[in-house]
Amino acid sequence: MTAPRAASPRTCPGRRAVLLGGGLAAGAAGASAVWALTGPSAAAPVPAPPGIPPDDDLMREHGVLKRVLLCYREMTRRIQVGDQVAAPDLHDAALIIHDYIEGFHEGLEEGYVFPRLRRDPAVAGTVTTLLVQHARGRVLTQFILARTTARDVASPGTRARLAEAMQAFVRMYEPHEAREDTVIFPAFRQAVPAAELASLGQHFADLERQQFGRDEFGAMVARIARIEQDLDIYDLDQFTPQVGPFSPSA
Amino acid sequence: MRRSRRTRGVLAVLLALVAGCASPRAGPPSGGGTSGVKVTVTTRSLPDVGTVLVTGKGYALYMFAPDRRRAVTCTGVCAGTWPPLMLPSGATLAAGPGIKTSLLGSDPAPGGGRVVTYGGWPLYTYTGDVDPGQATGQAIDLNGGEWYVLRPSGAPLEAGP
Repeated sequence: MTAPRAASPRTCPGRRAVLLGGGLAAGAAGASAVWALTGPSAAAPVPAPPGIPPDDDLMREHGVLKRVLLCYREMTRRIQVGDQVAAPDLHDAALIIHDYIEGFHEGLEEGYVFPRLRRDPAVAGTVTTLLVQHARGRVLTQFILARTTARDVASPGTRARLAEAMQAFVRMYEPHEAREDTVIFPAFRQAVPAAELASLGQHFADLERQQFGRDEFGAMVARIARIEQDLDIYDLDQFTPQVGPFSPSA
Repeated sequence: MRRSRRTRGVLAVLLALVAGCASPRAGPPSGGGTSGVKVTVTTRSLPDVGTVLVTGKGYALYMFAPDRRRAVTCTGVCAGTWPPLMLPSGATLAAGPGIKTSLLGSDPAPGGGRVVTYGGWPLYTYTGDVDPGQATGQAIDLNGGEWYVLRPSGAPLEAGP
């Protein structure tokens, strides 16, 4: 039996989105060029709208990714010690990656962030690597999604391959997102004028509502929290170490 | 943020203008060119997939199943990952070796301009193909549907690599 698969809506922005530079006319090229042309040098200063700056928005989405990586790590550990892993939880974790991270967050990076940095020799090579890693991650996710039926997860051979795929995913995405947070997004912030950044933050929020019909971030946090609860890794307190042996008086 | 009608109008014009600009992205170009420029669709044998459609620069071209050979439906964030092959205003389509000219065409893009089609399928490139001669997006399910490279016959290669 195949585990249920949630809808994976593609983006069909309305007229307003397209006019705001939502990307379509020339794909990434058009969107980026529009934003480049509507910066402060091309128009009167635009008052900063309320909202989350685009790099902050991308980093909070990285928070969702980090929590899925934590779940993948725990599921991998369970498989390796012979414990059970609930197929629906593993499938849903992969679906969060598929729909929200790969189908939305990475699209923002590919359409709006990376193009601005392609000509920056300090980061151009990193951008290329990040693009390759996005593509590899999608292959791993597709593998995981296709093999998370209850029958698959009960099969020792498939469990081993799932653990291998999750390990590869975690190993790649931990340094991937850390590099984006500490190198790429700061470079992006430096490359884009403040007023344009503010407009782009609002635009990202508009795109999220168009794609998912709501503020999906909150919904994703709730979903990943439920999976963490199933895995008994939700309570943050359990990660607090005992430091007695390390205290100055020890 | 609310924008005035005038600002929206300016952006719409800019979108139309930049539709033909060279792509600033790290991956393949999304078409490129202005009046007098040719947008070439040709064929090339690529590892794992065989002979498929590529851009004039050798980047693999994909179809998106939900387009159903009728319209461009990958827009917004989706187009960030899968930039459509644009036919800028004034540019002409050129068929490379192996391409059936009768299958080449173009569809209106929802945001303005036109997207090159083959056998009715709107054509897209993939950001994951960072070099010519790759087809890393083949048989990927993303952004609401599956993506396949196309044979010169116009048939999608619906088997994975």
